[in-house]
Amino acid sequence: MRTGLMGGIALFGTLVVAACGGSTTTPTTSGGQPAAAPTGNPTTAVSLTESGSTLLLPYLQELVSPLTAAYSNITLAPSGGGSGKGISDAIAGNSVLGGTDAYLSPGQFAANPTLANIPIAVSAQGIWANLPGITTLKLNGDVIAKIYQGTITKWNDPALAALNSGVTLPSTTIAPLVRQGSSGDTFIFTSFLSATNSAWASGPGSGTSVTWPKVAAEGSASSNPGMVAACKAGCIAYVGVSASAAATTAGLVEAQLQNKAGTFLTPTPATMAAAVTAGAATIPPTLAVSLIYQDGAQSYPIVNFEYMVVNTKQSSSDIALAARTFFDWTIDPNGGSQTTLLSKENFIGLAASLPASVLATIKAKISSIST
Amino acid sequence: MSRPRRSHVRAGLFWGLCGVALVLIIAPAVDIILSILAHALPVLKPSLITETTSGTQLGLQNAITGTLALSLGVLIVAGTVGVLAGLYLSEFAPPRIAANARFFSEVLAGVPSIVVGYVGYTALVVGLHWHYSLLAGILALSALILPYIVKTTELAFSSVPRTLREGAIALGLSRGRTIRKVLLPPALPGVVSGLVLALAISTGETAPLLFTANFSDKNPSGLFNPVGYLTGVTYTDIQLPDPKTQAVAYAAAGVTVLLVLLLIFAGRGITLRSRRLIARMDV
Amino acid sequence: MISAPAGKVDAGRARHRLSQTELSRGDRVLRAVSAVAAMIPPGLLVFIALVMVVAAMPSIVFNGWSFFTGSVFNFGNLYATTTITHNGVAAPPQAAYGALPLIFGTFATSLIALLLAVPISVGGALMLSEVIPRRIADPLSVFLELLAGIPSVVFGLWGVAVFGPFIAAHVYPALSSLGHIIPFLKGPVGVGQGLLTASLVLAVMIIPIIASTTLVLLRRVPILAKEGALALGMSRYETAKVVTIPYIRTGIVAASLLGWARALGETIAVLLIIGDIYRIPGNIFGNGSTIAAWIASTLDGALGDFTGMGVHALAELGLLLLAISLLTNLAGRIVVRRVAGGVLPVGRGV
Repeated sequence: MRTGLMGGIALFGTLVVAACGGSTTTPTTSGGQPAAAPTGNPTTAVSLTESGSTLLLPYLQELVSPLTAAYSNITLAPSGGGSGKGISDAIAGNSVLGGTDAYLSPGQFAANPTLANIPIAVSAQGIWANLPGITTLKLNGDVIAKIYQGTITKWNDPALAALNSGVTLPSTTIAPLVRQGSSGDTFIFTSFLSATNSAWASGPGSGTSVTWPKVAAEGSASSNPGMVAACKAGCIAYVGVSASAAATTAGLVEAQLQNKAGTFLTPTPATMAAAVTAGAATIPPTLAVSLIYQDGAQSYPIVNFEYMVVNTKQSSSDIALAARTFFDWTIDPNGGSQTTLLSKENFIGLAASLPASVLATIKAKISSIST
Repeated sequence: MSRPRRSHVRAGLFWGLCGVALVLIIAPAVDIILSILAHALPVLKPSLITETTSGTQLGLQNAITGTLALSLGVLIVAGTVGVLAGLYLSEFAPPRIAANARFFSEVLAGVPSIVVGYVGYTALVVGLHWHYSLLAGILALSALILPYIVKTTELAFSSVPRTLREGAIALGLSRGRTIRKVLLPPALPGVVSGLVLALAISTGETAPLLFTANFSDKNPSGLFNPVGYLTGVTYTDIQLPDPKTQAVAYAAAGVTVLLVLLLIFAGRGITLRSRRLIARMDV
Repeated sequence: MISAPAGKVDAGRARHRLSQTELSRGDRVLRAVSAVAAMIPPGLLVFIALVMVVAAMPSIVFNGWSFFTGSVFNFGNLYATTTITHNGVAAPPQAAYGALPLIFGTFATSLIALLLAVPISVGGALMLSEVIPRRIADPLSVFLELLAGIPSVVFGLWGVAVFGPFIAAHVYPALSSLGHIIPFLKGPVGVGQGLLTASLVLAVMIIPIIASTTLVLLRRVPILAKEGALALGMSRYETAKVVTIPYIRTGIVAASLLGWARALGETIAVLLIIGDIYRIPGNIFGNGSTIAAWIASTLDGALGDFTGMGVHALAELGLLLLAISLLTNLAGRIVVRRVAGGVLPVGRGV
């Protein structure tokens, strides 16, 4: 009798608590898994400060208005400064979010256990050349590495002619362009070279800035648009897809790159998605993975996740709520990942190309942001 | 009669070269300003002043107010310290101390702007937990331009003819009186032009602010909040692919130059008024 | 009696002797306050140096002397899971920090800039003060201060996009023909980036400092001295050569030192123009880098080094530049002393 009464009171209490709801309870789903931590409009105005990658910056600037329209108390405040600054700002607490094209390294994870890198979009990189009159150009990572090492110096080199049968390449000197300083684009490009040329992997290697081998005609530029502007006759440059329009307007030709399966491709939403799907198979729980040179007949070889680094331990529950809401809304195809917003930078969204299990991991990571 | 002819030729050559030098100074200035205007034309609209840099807007309001706030802060901090320091070096300091202080001031001028920014980051942003803030930006900029103000102020005061000083002593004026009434009016043009030059250099700086004030899409909201500034807009927007954003970068540069022009004219206004004051002086 | 600043210490001593009279309480307060202000620049310098030394120490220990002789700069494999240790300090594998090409670039650009800027500044300032009537000279001198206010990033862009290509097409080919005599001037001349273009733009950037200071100095030259020269039958040119320029010689050197300092520390404009590639260029038109430009452009990458050694290495570079500034200013001091000693006793006793 007493147990029944106790049971009744307990049941009644549970029902009351469950009915009261509120953002502090975490009801369980029918599947028995812990459901996502709540998202929504915070009670006070939160400015989500962000710094970091300039590749990601235009996309984030596009998100500011629609995000505040959906959640009036959340204002995204993005600024640039480079991927390294974004990561260090997120670690130091100077910014809530850090945008980066390069995922966190094992050392950074070890030194900062509460740090997470969460992908929010997918970008790619094109290889462009200034060859007036040439409309198709086929290259692979191996010859590009040799160009940047200085072993292939002229466009009419036999190695290039072998890839481009039917096209007569000129005898001009190749002028490879590199990015000045540290840049996520350099990280992505050199990862590709390391994956396709063993001498490159053991030599300059990959990183946001590397020691470029001495090539006499080498030039440099300080941003993606800068690369396009500096690409004079005979040059070859690596340019993020967000600047593809500028490259086309400048009259440059985009190279078709040979992927692991042997197909020659340019970066399109379909070829980018194929690379993501292939890479998702090897994604670790930290979500730090390279999408470079994946298997798959239609996988474009230079694709990468755009990451947001965030400290999962925030100082206030309002900021944590705002951060979770930002991530949730941004990767939602009806929110920040609408095609109209993504296509301005030639990015693609996550939902279309990632399997459900990976999306679940991402959602769990987002949920782990709290105080 | 060969001597006058040779010296005529030499004189003509000399002044011809000086003329070329003047052209070499003015031509780049004109060219740069024209390039800035040419690139900025597409976005020269009233919305530049009414909108901020937030999101996809093409406004500069927060950058303009931020630059003004930084410049005012720098004028107060570096201006006060620099003018007083220059005054001390010229009027009060024993020659040995003056020489050493001057030397260290000049070495300070050689510190790269990025190093000043990084020290500001380490000491103020991180060390004192100010996070990115307007005050940190003001202090970093002040450290950068302080040597220029010290040097020009000292030069201005020490260039005042000895006759005026001796006259003041003969009249039994105290040092403070001497400085205020006798030395300041003729030195003022030099001091002001030095301040204008230093402020102009500070409005054109980016590197020290990137790591101290970072950037903000809002108008200045307090000494301990980040702030926007025109050179930050130029530096960041020039790296973004959209041609409209690139035009904003140049518009920001154009507004910077306009602000400097205003500074220069304000400086000359003060100089003119002080000249009239000297004319009316009866010391 | 008109005082000539012949020997800065001399005039200083004279002024100091004068100042030993009439120190009321108000004066003492002013002196104390301004003395505190005067100690701030040296204090700041010491503070910055201290912060830099502390930040650079791990790298100094790691590198030893190879820092100054090394020609490789590599942050190492930042994605490695192990570290290498040298002298008890850890760094990522394959990390190496050498400063030689950067030292070369720093000196080369600053020297060329100074050698060009001083004559041009003095010549232009002379023109403005001696030849051109005040009515026109005043508006023209606005350009001097305007040039100082143009953002360094704009100088960089203008240098790469407008000035560099123009000068590479029209001036460099002629210059490279001197390559027979001076091998460093041999072609290829490139498309506008590089060491020489960076030096030229740097010169344009430091001209305002030297020129406007010189102009202020020129306007302070006592009219009696100049009129005396004219009365003796000297032309305007001879007056300038014998009276005006020697009178302000120490001031020009002092202004040049300030310009030199600006050239050493200029970061963003140089970074954008010089090509920012870590090497000693093969010729004067080739790409390279300077200490300040390298710090700015690689700081972002250094922040990605979890061992922190990347940032320490850049701090060591910054400390090196500080040391260079100190040493060159010391050298400049000696030059000033020698120059001041040889000045004609113009104006004394007039």
